[in-house]
Amino acid sequence: MVNLFKRMRKLSTTLNVRTGLGAALFPTPKTATKEFPAVTRLHLTYAKRIEDGHRGARHFWRQCLPRLKYHNPGVGITVRQTDDQAGPAALTIYFSERLSSTAAAIAGANQVVDKHAPAPVEGEKAAVVNVKNLEFNEIWNRVQASTGAQELKPSAEDEAERKRLEAIAARAVGDRERIARIQQAKKDQERMLAEARGEVEKLKSM
Amino acid sequence: MASYGAALPTVARSILAPCRLPFRQMPMMPMVPAFTGFQQSRGMKNKAKDKGKGKGKATKADRRGAKDFQQKDLKDMQQFALCDAMRYIRAVEVGREPASTKYEVHIRLKSRKDGPVIRNMIRFPHAVQTESRICVICAPGSKQAKDALAAGAVLVGRTILPAMNKAGLGRILGPRGLMPNTKNGTVTEDVANRVQMLRGGTIYRERDAVIRLPIGQLGFSPEQLRDNLRTTIEQVKKDAAGLNDQINKQIYEIVLSSTHGPGFSLNGEFKSENSPRLLCLDWRVKYHCFF
Repeated sequence: MVNLFKRMRKLSTTLNVRTGLGAALFPTPKTATKEFPAVTRLHLTYAKRIEDGHRGARHFWRQCLPRLKYHNPGVGITVRQTDDQAGPAALTIYFSERLSSTAAAIAGANQVVDKHAPAPVEGEKAAVVNVKNLEFNEIWNRVQASTGAQELKPSAEDEAERKRLEAIAARAVGDRERIARIQQAKKDQERMLAEARGEVEKLKSM
Repeated sequence: MASYGAALPTVARSILAPCRLPFRQMPMMPMVPAFTGFQQSRGMKNKAKDKGKGKGKATKADRRGAKDFQQKDLKDMQQFALCDAMRYIRAVEVGREPASTKYEVHIRLKSRKDGPVIRNMIRFPHAVQTESRICVICAPGSKQAKDALAAGAVLVGRTILPAMNKAGLGRILGPRGLMPNTKNGTVTEDVANRVQMLRGGTIYRERDAVIRLPIGQLGFSPEQLRDNLRTTIEQVKKDAAGLNDQINKQIYEIVLSSTHGPGFSLNGEFKSENSPRLLCLDWRVKYHCFF
């Protein structure tokens, strides 16, 4: 099995799931306000390749959705990749009972139809946000604005962990250079020796 | 002293070195021979007494390598309760197909490098593979045919065989181990049991002292996964006990992983204080729930 230390280092990447862009709590029925009703589900549809403005949607999936899922394990999140580059890149947000006014405004401003998104069930209202040609942080801004998600500050331990990993990464840069120098010196030495040997051969043959 | 020092990492030994010095010069007569003996044993050919302890010349056994698979101390390893590991895995696997993405378990064993390996088949309480469809060749209308259908076979009958030959399917199915074969136990009297076994069954084997097998779909609830995990561990223990009297295999670590996710070492707990509510981890719950 993989070396224990490698596995431990790999696990430290769970920090990336806990913190970062998208580490936020959606309003729940308990915390729902007049302005922001509870969020029940999310659905993202985009095309496989990045051209025609589907890049941000994919990045949003890889970057933000794991964090959202970690902090809101009860909110169902589905992703659908299509082969249709000309098709929509759309994020559907399902609210319980009614839409938040900002969501209605954001969805209404740039109408799009996503036929892959599941139909809202009874007691749900869906807002389809057009995310084509948007970068993932821009998508996150819209999601946050339309749902009123509360961003979570990283805990003290997470902050310390981040600093530790950053320090390791910074040290690694220097170490890499040092090792590269050593390797280069070794290669130079070998080349010089080989050249010298070649000279000797030449002299002998003369 | 020497053996104690050898067990420590180099840094610790160098820290200890100054403490050790006064001991050597101690004027206690009865102790001196003992210490000199130890001093000499370092770096020299070891006597039988402290074989393998000192850092001396490699003995014959050393040169052949360790007899057991290496087992690192797990005290630094971060370990998780099942629900916490599931929460991370579900976050990493977000947006994937819940039926085709699988939870995997890696069971590390304390085991010798030579000797027999565990190899068996397991049937889970909650079936992991849903896509395997089974065709039973027998007389239509017989007891076996009824049993097979009841156990979940897709096709039952005798006319399938000539049709299969005609289509040349044997050549495709044969190498994949999908043709009936006495070796695999797929030519049998007890059809119903076998069909059930094949539908929910998974073959596993030990490689380099690790057993890896899928134990659940991403859509499983924590309870379902726990049941499957428990069944797996019990069966592996049974397999290990049934091998041979002299062979002592033990479970050393259990790691929960998934198709795309990292591996989480499990601590044996089901849930911890910070775990989300169980329903939140259940894919089948269509509506949202919160913790």
